Amino acid sequence: MNTQNHRSANSTSMVEAEYDPEVTLRLIASLPAPDGIENRVIANIRSAPPSRRVLNWPRLVNPTESWLRTAAAAAIVSVVLGGGWGVYSRIQPISTVALPNAGTAGGFSNAGAVRVPQTIPTPVVTKPASGQPAAAEPAKKATSRDVAGAHRQAAHKAPAHPQAAVGR
Amino acid sequence: MSTSQAIYAGWMEIANTTVDEMARGQVEEATLEALVNQYASALYRVAFSVLRNAADAEDAVQETFLRVLRHRDALDEIRDRRVWLIRIVWNIVLDRKRRAKTRPETDDVDELARVLPSRGLSAEQHAAASQHHKRVLACVDKLPSKERQVLMLSAFEELSSVEIAGVLGITESSVRSRLFRARNLMAEMLDHARSLR
Repeated sequence: MNTQNHRSANSTSMVEAEYDPEVTLRLIASLPAPDGIENRVIANIRSAPPSRRVLNWPRLVNPTESWLRTAAAAAIVSVVLGGGWGVYSRIQPISTVALPNAGTAGGFSNAGAVRVPQTIPTPVVTKPASGQPAAAEPAKKATSRDVAGAHRQAAHKAPAHPQAAVGR
Repeated sequence: MSTSQAIYAGWMEIANTTVDEMARGQVEEATLEALVNQYASALYRVAFSVLRNAADAEDAVQETFLRVLRHRDALDEIRDRRVWLIRIVWNIVLDRKRRAKTRPETDDVDELARVLPSRGLSAEQHAAASQHHKRVLACVDKLPSKERQVLMLSAFEELSSVEIAGVLGITESSVRSRLFRARNLMAEMLDHARSLR
């Protein structure tokens, strides 16, 4: 048993010494092709349906010719450039674009809202009752005039009543 | 109107064009058949080295030439047809391999290790060689894909490093560095496998 194992190990190491790892790949690469593969491929090609296009180019404008390809490429380039120039010449470039005022922190913007600080609480001015605003105003003016007139009258009347002035 | 008048008038031009196209088609067909006769065998070997299955490899070769047939107009522009064809078949087999990932590869490896030629070895040595090939193929499968591809293509003696670069679409220096890495990795893996025994 031991002798058999020893012999097997010997033959394995001998084979490994003889066969470099790449020899295996080379052996695979050199395996012969099956007989008649060329004939089968040719038969397959002949039986393949012709790959006709729906629209064939006319013979006169054969797209395989190099000058025609160049001309077609030049035409495409000129059309693209012309179109671009046409658009550019019609549309004036916008000088300034008003951007929304984005927040500096990089987060959300204030969406145009303006903060209004709270005002200091002050006495609230109440308007007079809206019932007789027109009548009240002339009455007030008349009152002040009356007051002035009353003072004047009092001044004029003072010498007429000297006892009253002394009594005060 | 006589025939000559018709020709001068341009009526017969269509017939001439048809004749031209037929002649051109025959030339293209002859060129394609020459390509098949010259390269089908090499393409089969490339396909077989990846797919490890005779029927799949032959299918890949058929598909390669059908693709060439579809693009036969561009045949004149191809500089190195051999590299071009190998590149096509290489892409096809890689695509097939990717799609057939679900199939266990162990069967293919066993079959391949058994089929590989062993020059005048005894039955015992033949069995040992099969085991060795099996181990090597298992290690190749474990290599990173870029290194594996370069290593497999380098096994084809008819392909130079420039041509391998052309097939893979990389530079020649990349081919060399990948090959170096692949060989180192293979040696490490085989050493590891040997130490486990």
